[in-house]
Amino acid sequence: MKNSFVFSGSGGQGIMSAGIMLAHTAIDMSKHSTYLPEYGPEQRGGSAKCTVIISDDEIVSPLTKKCDTLICMNEQAYRKFSKDVKDGGLLVLNSSRIVNEEIPEGVRVLSVPVDDIALELGNVKVANIVLLGALIGATGIVSKEVLVASLEEKFKTKKPEILELNMRALEKGIELGKNA
Amino acid sequence: MEKRFMKGCEAIAEAAVLGGCRFFAGYPITPQNEIPEYLSWRLPEVGGAFVQGESEVASINMVYGAAATGKRALTSSSGPGISLKAEGISYLASAQLPAVIVNISRGGPGLGSIQPAQSDYLQATKALGHGGFRAMVFAPATLQEAVDLTYNAWDYAERYRNPVMILMDGCLGAIMEEVELPEMKETTFENTEDWCLARVGGRTDSHMITPILPEPALELLNKGKAMQYKMWEMLDTKVEEFMLEDAEYVVVAYGIAARVAKEAILRLREEGYKVGMVRPITLYPFPKASLDNLDYSKVKGVIDIEMTIPAQMREDIELQVKGRCPVHEYGRSGGMLLDDEGVYDAIAEIVKGGE
Repeated sequence: MKNSFVFSGSGGQGIMSAGIMLAHTAIDMSKHSTYLPEYGPEQRGGSAKCTVIISDDEIVSPLTKKCDTLICMNEQAYRKFSKDVKDGGLLVLNSSRIVNEEIPEGVRVLSVPVDDIALELGNVKVANIVLLGALIGATGIVSKEVLVASLEEKFKTKKPEILELNMRALEKGIELGKNA
Repeated sequence: MEKRFMKGCEAIAEAAVLGGCRFFAGYPITPQNEIPEYLSWRLPEVGGAFVQGESEVASINMVYGAAATGKRALTSSSGPGISLKAEGISYLASAQLPAVIVNISRGGPGLGSIQPAQSDYLQATKALGHGGFRAMVFAPATLQEAVDLTYNAWDYAERYRNPVMILMDGCLGAIMEEVELPEMKETTFENTEDWCLARVGGRTDSHMITPILPEPALELLNKGKAMQYKMWEMLDTKVEEFMLEDAEYVVVAYGIAARVAKEAILRLREEGYKVGMVRPITLYPFPKASLDNLDYSKVKGVIDIEMTIPAQMREDIELQVKGRCPVHEYGRSGGMLLDDEGVYDAIAEIVKGGE
């Protein structure tokens, strides 16, 4: 079973980090995964996109036209990529920034105000982790435990508060994803 | 063997170190910057040297110098930078120096775009520099293959005392995949002590390495090289032949394009269409026999898929097909990527159109 995810937004929103974390977690679960980033020449801002493919079998083509799940962190990304989600696919939207947008027919939508939630938790920088949590809560694509272990590894050289904040963001995201 | 989830450029850089590379010089250009970035800290760890040159020209000439000492030397760049290195690569060939050059290619021509493309096939295989020489060109399709080919690249370079190129598009440079890394190779002067400048192996005499030869010697060098190119073709051609036995349509594609095409072929096979693929792993020497020996009583068409427009491999394909069936092409260009649907549609149109 091949599952494709496109994370999209602008530089600085943690799109690439979220994609790498998802792919890494899949690898840690002995699945196959590819991660392909696409971005422009901008040092800050600009459009950012990455494609993550997770599969039980070896991944033949890492390039896909349409994805099973599209994650959009802002309106520009939504307008650019919303047509690229498959019929019956899932749209995960940052509803703090995406409002009043037309939703394509035949797709499921998970709207989470991840920026607002991250701010409530204490730092807007963890919006991507809230989003990743929501994605996992809604789809169960990777195991929470394995992701937690990989987060612990990622933040082991940082202050413990940073790991703790990320854990809270993940928990909150998973809860919202599950209840959606 | 150690398994790691790595980025293409970093996997190549690590494979180079494990393959014995101890010198790198290069000048920044997207999408290959992760190679020098990685080597800037990794090479000093193993007693190697990393130099960010003041230009591409300076860098390739530093590689010339390092290779002359018998050490394994590397440079990397992308299309426009490889053009600037062309003179130096030709000098390496003329001085019979082994070195590895990596091209993580991007959209062209000119400055082009920083997004991936397979637009440097002709440059790599026909004219990597002036003066009429060839270099082996390896074109990996997966990061594991990139690691394996890079790891062994200096063995070929030293065996034939000639530069070797690794050509990989920006997608494979940026993508992250799982790779298995081999053991560190022992770096000795075993293959280079007979000619290198370093006084190793108890030698006390001096050698001279020069790209400037009197005419008769230059002709002799070229005759030797001509024989060598024939030898590569016989001994070193690498190719993947996929589902050719009963194929009525044969796709020819390398690198990232081959992966996208393979998925389309698998889908068409499920639908009952007999499609196969020839995937050159060495672009030079080109796997002529794989195409020449197809059963043309069955094959109705050959389809060249490349991430460049117009297709650049087409002439090499046509020379082997020899008019025995039509040759078609499909591609994207300028940094616009191939995708599974576009490639499937292009192949399906030709395959199903024949019905």
